Amino acid sequence: MKFTIREGKPEDCKDIERMIMELAVYEKMPDQVKISHKELERDGFRSNPYYQCLVAEVPEEQKSKDGYTKVGYALFFYTYSTWKGRVVYMEDLYVMPEYRGKGIGKALMATVAKVGKEKQCVRLQLSVLDWNKPSLDFYMAKGAEDLTAKEGWHHIRFHGEALDNLAQEAP
Amino acid sequence: MSPLVIRRRAADARRETELAEYEKVSDQIKITQRDLEQDGFSKNPFFHGIIAEVPEHLKSKDGHPKIGYSLYFCTYSSWKGRAVYMEDLYVRPEFRGKGIGKALMAKVAQLGLAAGCTQLNFTVLDWNKSSLDFYLKQGCWDVTSDLGYHCMRCEGDALQHLAQGDL
Repeated sequence: MKFTIREGKPEDCKDIERMIMELAVYEKMPDQVKISHKELERDGFRSNPYYQCLVAEVPEEQKSKDGYTKVGYALFFYTYSTWKGRVVYMEDLYVMPEYRGKGIGKALMATVAKVGKEKQCVRLQLSVLDWNKPSLDFYMAKGAEDLTAKEGWHHIRFHGEALDNLAQEAP
Repeated sequence: MSPLVIRRRAADARRETELAEYEKVSDQIKITQRDLEQDGFSKNPFFHGIIAEVPEHLKSKDGHPKIGYSLYFCTYSSWKGRAVYMEDLYVRPEFRGKGIGKALMAKVAQLGLAAGCTQLNFTVLDWNKSSLDFYLKQGCWDVTSDLGYHCMRCEGDALQHLAQGDL
């Protein structure tokens, strides 16, 4: 199957919004999606963007059952380790089910790694749900380590009222 | 204790990198003060830092008035939008138990909210019960325990092969 991987553009945000929801449905949490293509356009395409994205596209003759040619995406940004330096964090990696098994996910992830290395990143990090065996196997096959299983790292979050209350205590 | 001051000046954070290097296990540290200066104080910084400072007459036994710091950066949730990630939170041992860690964390939360962030995220080791209890008491959510998210990492040869499209 022919496909291209390219940098995302503002006009891709509606397709990215569609695929973010498809991914959230797969992760069994569709009610958690609170942003739309408007926030994606605002936050991804300004002078200091909050994220970068890649889009996987197929030719018109291979478009999906529903008529889409944008069939996968990766959303990533730069973070920092005070021990090792620059890191690239892959927030989302998604390929529409009818296009899986053709190397598109691997090509997206490899491009994120390549872009990260060009920026002198020394790590690529991401999160996976513990029941998501196909994805866990996919990442482990690419040499990823499960830091939660191996070292006991837990991801902790403040949000909503707890975040507001905490911020009010700032000196 | 006299009022604690939390500063964001670049010059302070730059000097604080010496403390960050000194206090961590030296063989794990692969970056230098120079890397931190370049990556934190350029036009598009990779991180931001805040410093906790006490008045001169309360400085540490070895003469430092800068006694704590937090290093953080903006991230993005494809579900919720802008978020802030707190990579480091540190207070020198002789100044602990006085609310300085909490004040630093609260400042990161305040700065994050001002920038339109809806989450403050960080990681804690599962055996670190006192920290976990402290955070859970503040209303935090353990996303790993509750939802099953695992932190994954590619580095070294694996990252190199991936970037080359070898795997």
